[in-house]
Amino acid sequence: MSIFRKLKEHFVDVLYIWRQEMKQVVMDEGVLMFLVVLPLGYPLLYSWIYNNEALRETPVAVVDQSHSALSRQFIYDCDATPDVHVKYYAQDLDEARSLVSRQLVKGIYLIPSDFADRVNRGEQATVSVYCDMSLMLAYKSVYQTAMVESMRLGAGINIKRAGNYTKHEDAITAQPLIVDGIAMYNPLGGYGSCVLPAVLMLILQQAIALGIGMSAGTARERNRNGLLIPDDDPHYRGAYRIVWGKALCYGMIGAVAAAYISMAIPHMFSFPQLGDWRTLLLMLLPYIMASIFFGMTVSCLVRYRENVMLLMVFVSVPLLFLTGVSWPQSSIPSYWQGVSWLFPSTFGVRAFIRANSMGATVSQILPEIRILWIQAAAYLGMACLVYRYQFRMARKYAND
Amino acid sequence: MKYISQIFDIALRELNILRKNRIYGFCMLVFPVLLVFFFTTMLDEGVPQDLPIGVVDQDNSAMSRGLVRTLDAMQNSRVEYRFASVTEARCAMQEGKVYAFLYIPKGTASKLLAGRQPEISFYYTMTCMTAGSMASKDLKTLGTLGSAAVGQAMLSAKGATPDQIKAALQPVTIDAHMIANPQSSYNYSLTTVFVPGILMLFMALLSAYAVGMEMKFDTGKEWLARADNNIVVAFLGKFLVHALVFFFVIFVYQYYIFNVLHFPRLGGVWSIVRLTILQVASSLGFGAFAFGLMPSLRMSMSISSLWSVLSISMCGSAFPVAGMDPPLQAMSWLFPLRHYWMMYQATVLNGFPVIDVWFHLVALVAFTLLPWLVLRKIKNAMLNYVYIP
Repeated sequence: MSIFRKLKEHFVDVLYIWRQEMKQVVMDEGVLMFLVVLPLGYPLLYSWIYNNEALRETPVAVVDQSHSALSRQFIYDCDATPDVHVKYYAQDLDEARSLVSRQLVKGIYLIPSDFADRVNRGEQATVSVYCDMSLMLAYKSVYQTAMVESMRLGAGINIKRAGNYTKHEDAITAQPLIVDGIAMYNPLGGYGSCVLPAVLMLILQQAIALGIGMSAGTARERNRNGLLIPDDDPHYRGAYRIVWGKALCYGMIGAVAAAYISMAIPHMFSFPQLGDWRTLLLMLLPYIMASIFFGMTVSCLVRYRENVMLLMVFVSVPLLFLTGVSWPQSSIPSYWQGVSWLFPSTFGVRAFIRANSMGATVSQILPEIRILWIQAAAYLGMACLVYRYQFRMARKYAND
Repeated sequence: MKYISQIFDIALRELNILRKNRIYGFCMLVFPVLLVFFFTTMLDEGVPQDLPIGVVDQDNSAMSRGLVRTLDAMQNSRVEYRFASVTEARCAMQEGKVYAFLYIPKGTASKLLAGRQPEISFYYTMTCMTAGSMASKDLKTLGTLGSAAVGQAMLSAKGATPDQIKAALQPVTIDAHMIANPQSSYNYSLTTVFVPGILMLFMALLSAYAVGMEMKFDTGKEWLARADNNIVVAFLGKFLVHALVFFFVIFVYQYYIFNVLHFPRLGGVWSIVRLTILQVASSLGFGAFAFGLMPSLRMSMSISSLWSVLSISMCGSAFPVAGMDPPLQAMSWLFPLRHYWMMYQATVLNGFPVIDVWFHLVALVAFTLLPWLVLRKIKNAMLNYVYIP
């Protein structure tokens, strides 16, 4: 047989397998759910959940035992901030505590009876802040508001004491050194803008892996001898054509899902979008390929189709942690860093955040892109090994 | 008596199933152990420490170097890079090398001493909120210290006592009491919701799986026959084993975090036991209900897994429910994990009386009883449906 004929035959087989796989995806509602509904619906839902970005007006209770102009000033100032809302005045700490217990407030400001007296005597006065630690965001609002307002109150007291002549002198008394803090790439400090890009990329990988796993499980249940490929179909003759045929099918779906997830969703919910589409393309291409071949490799572990669900659902939250979005990468123990190298999501998420949220150029995310290509190649090799084994088994059964 | 012996008989049968199908062993024992190990080691630091931070020091004065040294000495920060320009620092941030950088322009020290109000800036990335807010906290403190240094030198030159200096620099201070988590450790707040959350996910998925597999392998009729076609008895027998295994797993987890790792809690042992019983019962109930809604192994498991993964966000432990849109706030009631977590933080973490969260307790009981609505449908499915792969 001439090389040309052979190539053509190979090509036809790949296309045939692509079509078969596509048919299977469309016919199977379980696979369809994970490959279409999941990447379409979940990003919308998650974006909606985190759409408000920040927690505003955290309710607090105040126990004002000082009843002075100064203490009232402090309470007004706190109430006027966007983060804290003084919802209750309690007579004593016990009453305030019962308000926390009934989930009505998230913190207590206790102003002791000698508060104003101490300030007027030139001593240091104290406001006690009691925080409910069950919600980290609420704790930060309650504590930081009190902190900032106490410093402002103190600056005001200092200005009065200084007896300056000009406004400029007052400003220098209040703040001899101006410190300007600038939050970058997520200026509001929003929770959604921070977590969502990571969640979106993770959804992409999980959807692809779940879809491949489910359809492999179905194939095992349908084919004789629990094989991943039918042993009586002449087109399934060779590991490469099977792997490429399948990859074309999932790559097609993955490409649409990736475009939707990386461009449409951030646009709809106005998440940071500094990335250039060419950079995103260069990073998403190896990511989708690595995810597909990763999914194929994992699918060989699946005996029943439902098991892949248990496996993938189990790893999704730990995988999010391994990307370094909820917990800083520099604080991840080294052995978990090592484990994180096994998953495309680790580098896909990092590259996407840097390119999309932080506007990094290709050369700045080159290390991540390189690792994604290495992962794609390694998992491709493994997927070929898996299917070569399956192919040999199929031939053995066919010959018997 | 008859019922008890039937329940016992079915429980033994279930035990045999659990032993034969390896997936149960993985999901009930191996994965939970891995999970607890993962989160407790991952978050072992409690608060991120020694975050890499850059410095652009164009002043190069004794004062600016002093500031950089102080920053390096702080708990959360480590000065890892020194950059020549802001652009260089920004590029390093985009490459993920630093989480923040401090910019001290030329002439800061001399302006400060001359009383011309110089300005220093710090830039931090909020693409990782934990790191960004920790770094910004340190840098903010540093700025306050820089300001205070001037005043302190002046006051001590005038002969003020240390107490007077303290009162003059900071007339009002905050005395923070972080109840039940004094280190503000992320380990205490995240591990205690993610581990139970994923365990609840397994419970719900496995209960749908266990019922669904009866249908898939057409053993449902035999299962019901052992209970004389009494579906309630059949269910009790089946889930008794699941519940006992998960009780055991959860108690081991709780013993580990509270007695070995010494996680803080103000609630007593009874509050933990009560919560665990509700946790297991409601999750099993939810999974069985999902199967009853759609008596197909694949659909019910898909629904429970999608729902349970969502519940980790919807329980409001990371982003609070109070900050979500009103329709989502209402929807949060439909997630067992939400009620579990509310009860956990009120009764176990803070040690408040259970009466203050009675509605969450009622909700968990309701989840436990949900399968009641679909028992007949499940029975019908077991006896008449045929599994289609």
